[in-house]
Amino acid sequence: MNIFARIKPITQYKKVSYYSVSMDDNDTSLFEEFINRQQIENKNKLDHILNWLKFIGDKYGAQSHFFRPEAETADTSALPPKGIDRKPQYTEFGKKKANNLRLYCLRANDSVVFLFSGDIKTSKKAQNCPNVKPHFKLANQLTKSIDNAFKEKEIIWTNDFTQIEFNKDLKLYL
Amino acid sequence: MKFPKNNIIDNWLDQHGDPEIAKLIEKNLAITEKVRAILKERNIKNNAFAEMLGKKPSELSKWLSGTHNLTLKSITKMEVALNIDLINIEPITEYKYVYLGSVKDNSMKQAISDYEESNYDVAS
Repeated sequence: MNIFARIKPITQYKKVSYYSVSMDDNDTSLFEEFINRQQIENKNKLDHILNWLKFIGDKYGAQSHFFRPEAETADTSALPPKGIDRKPQYTEFGKKKANNLRLYCLRANDSVVFLFSGDIKTSKKAQNCPNVKPHFKLANQLTKSIDNAFKEKEIIWTNDFTQIEFNKDLKLYL
Repeated sequence: MKFPKNNIIDNWLDQHGDPEIAKLIEKNLAITEKVRAILKERNIKNNAFAEMLGKKPSELSKWLSGTHNLTLKSITKMEVALNIDLINIEPITEYKYVYLGSVKDNSMKQAISDYEESNYDVAS
């Protein structure tokens, strides 16, 4: 059976439009599932990532330095970002902590970002982490499929490249 | 396809978000993006700026990531190197005293009760 995904608009800020995908006939998107799952166990880390999405969405645009490259076979990236070879930090109860929660995404350009799913990363390489490996693999497959849809003109840019247009019945096959 | 009216990110942050985390990210991004903008405007490469600060490029990369907990010392170091202010602190408002006049003789008590009447030598 072919696995497919449908694009689901999530929310729009002044500078960034966020999209996600829902798998097969599921109504809930991967990003919504990610929030539902992580808000119980990793509330502060999720808080950090959602604030990050809000501020870059409202004020700065989705510039590449706000994301960390997490590509295997496609242009997948992840949040939060980091300095070279350093773990991203945030402050929890006044103490510096590394935010090892990953949200995999596709930064299509400065104005359009696809948000997928993620989890707590427990090893240096995503491929070696049992938590994030399935999310990482799926994000890379989805990125490849979305890239193809752009090439095939199934997803098209608006004139100013700030939004995308697609048929609501579009299926992205993995 | 249209975007839903409900913004799930804002809704979640409104209901569950910690204002301290929000403020930290907002300020951190404001500082690092201002530095990035000035470096671009003055055509200063990151490696050159790292050298100006006496830091390794990897350390500067961490500082400018927007997720690092910058110390006041490192912010000041960047301010001095670029000759700018990254943080503007509002001065404390001082009370200003205005001389309104003096009460004649020693009739302070009477003057207080009759304050609506003209018991004052108005300052000119």
